[in-house]
Amino acid sequence: MANSSLTVANIDAGYGAVRVLEDVSLSVGAGETVALLGTNGNGKSTLMKSIMGIVCPSSGSISAVIDGTTHELVGRSTEEIVDLGIAFVPEGRRLFPKQTVIENLLLGAFRPAARSAIRRNLDFCLETFPRLKERSRQVAGSLSGGEQQMLALARALMSAPRILLIDEPSVGLAPLLVSRTIDKIKELKEGFNLTVLMAEQNFTQAIRIADRGYVIVHGRIAFAGESAEALNNNDLIREFYLGA
Amino acid sequence: MDVSLDLLVNAIVSGLLLGGFYAAVSIGVAISFGMLDIVNIAHPAFILLGSYVAYFANSVLGMDPILAAAIALPAFYLLGMAVYQVYYVAFERRNDQSLRSLAFFFGLLFITEVGLVLAFGVDYRLVEARYIGPSLHFGIIDLPLRLLVPFLVAAAMVVGLQVFLSRSFLGRAIQAVAQDQLALRLMAADPIRIKRIAFGLSFATAAVAGAILIIVQPVEPSIGREYIGRVFAICVLGGLGSFTGMAIAAIILGIVESLTSTFFGPSWAPAVAFGVLLVTLAVRPSGLMGR
Repeated sequence: MANSSLTVANIDAGYGAVRVLEDVSLSVGAGETVALLGTNGNGKSTLMKSIMGIVCPSSGSISAVIDGTTHELVGRSTEEIVDLGIAFVPEGRRLFPKQTVIENLLLGAFRPAARSAIRRNLDFCLETFPRLKERSRQVAGSLSGGEQQMLALARALMSAPRILLIDEPSVGLAPLLVSRTIDKIKELKEGFNLTVLMAEQNFTQAIRIADRGYVIVHGRIAFAGESAEALNNNDLIREFYLGA
Repeated sequence: MDVSLDLLVNAIVSGLLLGGFYAAVSIGVAISFGMLDIVNIAHPAFILLGSYVAYFANSVLGMDPILAAAIALPAFYLLGMAVYQVYYVAFERRNDQSLRSLAFFFGLLFITEVGLVLAFGVDYRLVEARYIGPSLHFGIIDLPLRLLVPFLVAAAMVVGLQVFLSRSFLGRAIQAVAQDQLALRLMAADPIRIKRIAFGLSFATAAVAGAILIIVQPVEPSIGREYIGRVFAICVLGGLGSFTGMAIAAIILGIVESLTSTFFGPSWAPAVAFGVLLVTLAVRPSGLMGR
């Protein structure tokens, strides 16, 4: 069973003088899939980047429990955080465009803890994404948007993470691909026993696989929905997403 | 002109051997310029430093120049890591690499050259070894050991580094580091550490290339400048980031130069070689095997 979780407590973060996040707290329990909902510019990405050590919060704490051990993340470098077992699929996918699909996947297994399981994880990824297997010798830059998103997901899983953060998996994809990608995330989560935090604008898609969610507005958590149902019936969601 | 067969064959063979030597000289730049995007024009000067290390070990201690290079290798590796660290702190971290870093490497080039002049003077120096002088003969083909031994050492170095870069985790990270540093950090690799190691490797090849250079020809401190253009041309011709392309380009250049100097005279060789570069780039702008 998954025994890794994430807790963000009262963080403030921003870029220079611009404060983006104010007193944000959230938690992702072991084995949960939590959606972070909000439209553009409300701080979803900044929150993800704060967790990954790309943006340094000015106050507050972020801690992760990995296989029963608690680690404070604030002050650690991105590579240390990934090395703990927290993988991140960033906005824009950030593939290595001149490397082949296989080379990208193998780079995903750079952290020493992932190297022993490399064969098994590679087989799993290629089985889950048959398209990547077909294109394994092709350079990543030549893939279509949907294929790139799959490769980015697969590459993150190659690091054998316990916790997976995904920033806007649906961006730039055709509607059919969006729902397929969301299904794949659920499949991968179950296959790897992951704890997942997913930032998403596409409320209806995200809520299909999320256990619960947070709505972030202007850098503050405006609503914490304890179930998909609660999110569905929330006024903010109705206002922002459902146009009611 | 009377083109005799054995002249032609021997020109091609010595071109091939010369190409192997060019590959050894270029491989350091194929790493620093081709994979790290660092225009280290001082590389040939450090190859010369390698030549003088081999010369010193050979003339004072009677050591084989290639053995001397193998012993000097770790020191060159550390020197490369140190040079990268200075480059990183002074330029890369502040995001103003391009022009100022070129001045930095020009400075290194001249300092190294002047250092060598002060230490060893401006006379041509050479080394002695059993394989300098004799040749092997196969029918009409002459294989001078003075070129064959460097060729074999160069081939071993290129193949070894290629295997390292394509099969190891560190090697794959080195190939990817210039493409996206944040993405590499998300793979749990520190890009600065990866670049430092790669730059160290690039310098380590200069120790070997230097020993090979002084076996192939006598050297004086400013001779490295002759190689600056050639080395970058080979990397661009082969396609940046590809060792295989670089090795093929080095051999093409070696053969073209050898044929030209055999049949039309040595002064034509560089012109024809660079002509080949321009024509190739017109047809294939990313080089022979560039991605």
